[in-house]
Amino acid sequence: DKAKLDKFQSLMLTPSLDLDELKKLSWSGVPSKFRPIVWKLLCGYLPAAQDRQGIILDKKRQEYHNYLEQYYSTRHQEIHQETHRQIQIDLPRMCPSIPLFQQETVQQIFERVLYIWAIRHPASGYVQGMNDLMTPFFVVFLNEYISSTIDTFKVDTLSRSDLQKLEADCYWCLSKLLDGIQDNYTFAQPGIQTRINQLKDLVSRIDATLQRHLEQHRVEYIQFTFRWMNNLLMRELPLRCIVRLWDTYLSEQDGFASFHLYVCAAFLTKFSTQLQRERDFHSLMMLLQNLPTQHWNDEEVTMILAEAYKLKFSFSGAPRHF
Amino acid sequence: MSFQGPEEYDYLFKIVLIGDSGVGKSNLLSRFTRNEFNLESKSTIGVEFATRSIVVEGKKLKAQIWDTAGQERFRAITSAYYRGAVGAMLVYDIAKHATFENIDRWLKELRDHADDNIVVLLVGNKTDLRHLRAVMSEDAAEYADRNNLIFIETSALDSTNVEHAFQQCLNEVYKRVADRHFSNVNIGQTTALPTTNLQSTILEKKFCCNS
Repeated sequence: DKAKLDKFQSLMLTPSLDLDELKKLSWSGVPSKFRPIVWKLLCGYLPAAQDRQGIILDKKRQEYHNYLEQYYSTRHQEIHQETHRQIQIDLPRMCPSIPLFQQETVQQIFERVLYIWAIRHPASGYVQGMNDLMTPFFVVFLNEYISSTIDTFKVDTLSRSDLQKLEADCYWCLSKLLDGIQDNYTFAQPGIQTRINQLKDLVSRIDATLQRHLEQHRVEYIQFTFRWMNNLLMRELPLRCIVRLWDTYLSEQDGFASFHLYVCAAFLTKFSTQLQRERDFHSLMMLLQNLPTQHWNDEEVTMILAEAYKLKFSFSGAPRHF
Repeated sequence: MSFQGPEEYDYLFKIVLIGDSGVGKSNLLSRFTRNEFNLESKSTIGVEFATRSIVVEGKKLKAQIWDTAGQERFRAITSAYYRGAVGAMLVYDIAKHATFENIDRWLKELRDHADDNIVVLLVGNKTDLRHLRAVMSEDAAEYADRNNLIFIETSALDSTNVEHAFQQCLNEVYKRVADRHFSNVNIGQTTALPTTNLQSTILEKKFCCNS
């Protein structure tokens, strides 16, 4: 709405932007027009001081370019070829329903970003699903350069220098995101295991009936929430919803780790009634793997977020929760 | 939605699909359970699950099939899913030799985590890629022979042998169950199965030996 747009507009014009103010404003959604710059600010990629933004961006983009020069050629070396091969296997299978991601230029950008990130982070390396996590950054930052609908946009029509900027920005923001959840991807994925246990604990407090129902039919959380954690719900929700979700995650302290937990709890319990209608393990699992969210929009996400906020408020100080 | 009771079956068999990333495990599963194939299906994260029932010798066998992610990093999590499995399809891509070379590792993985009597099928998938074949059938058959595996080649894309592969797996499991090969799994119990992080293994609903 207009009032919100105005608020963003005036905030953006301040020479040294108040990040806390920006987070407050962004929590409930960022207008798409401002999203590219707001996300970069919230990621900590772009400095709040306007007069430094240009310099920092140039520097960071150059730095990424240097990484490419330094590392990209190593992809055929024996110790790295498995990483490269895995990325190459995953890219053609990424977001099959969105034509944008089938374009060669787009897949090459993803390939380079993910490969460079992987070899600079050997503790985890590339883990399947990280490619999904780059897609929101890519679509949001691409919007900086185009005004038409992006699903079918021909990326090749952009200039080379724009593409390079886009690629570097994706790299740095994806890095910021992954830095916060790296224990999700290190050996045995301890971050995911911890959060799955926390989720189970939380759901047993807020929806004991559902919890009993799942237990009765021997449905284990790891069987269906592993993907929720590894891919941050990106397989469960349409991309447009994820973009809205990330407005909030980026505005939260530790959004992709601890707040995500509350979102998962709100998400699961939203289907409580429907799940309780299923009377055996098989049908429960089938539903849990294919929750009906295809038609979801901002409205549904907003409700989940409001619920998650309430949960965070009630439980974040409680014992056994952080 | 009206109330539906649990589906009836005589036996419930848990089968796992394992093998390198991109060899076509998910498509074998979707071909068998839904008769669908998707050239660009999303990569599997963690595990995915589907079921289908078939009839063998007048008995209804329900196959509960767990499709696992191929990447090494998920192994610590996915190996837990082998517990209670009575059948495994070890899949490689006939057009990618490296995926066949890794079969040794997958087999070790099974030996370490699964029941000793698990039925193992070696499945060479993607036979539709004739012109790209990199693994000879004879080599794979010989490997299977040496390691006591059932060998079959399939194409999830054109459906060749997919039905047959799962049928063979389930038949063999059924035979072994009938011969009481699975001493460690819970044959004959319909309730009070130990709580594992898996669904129970084999359920004989009508032929409970406690009765």
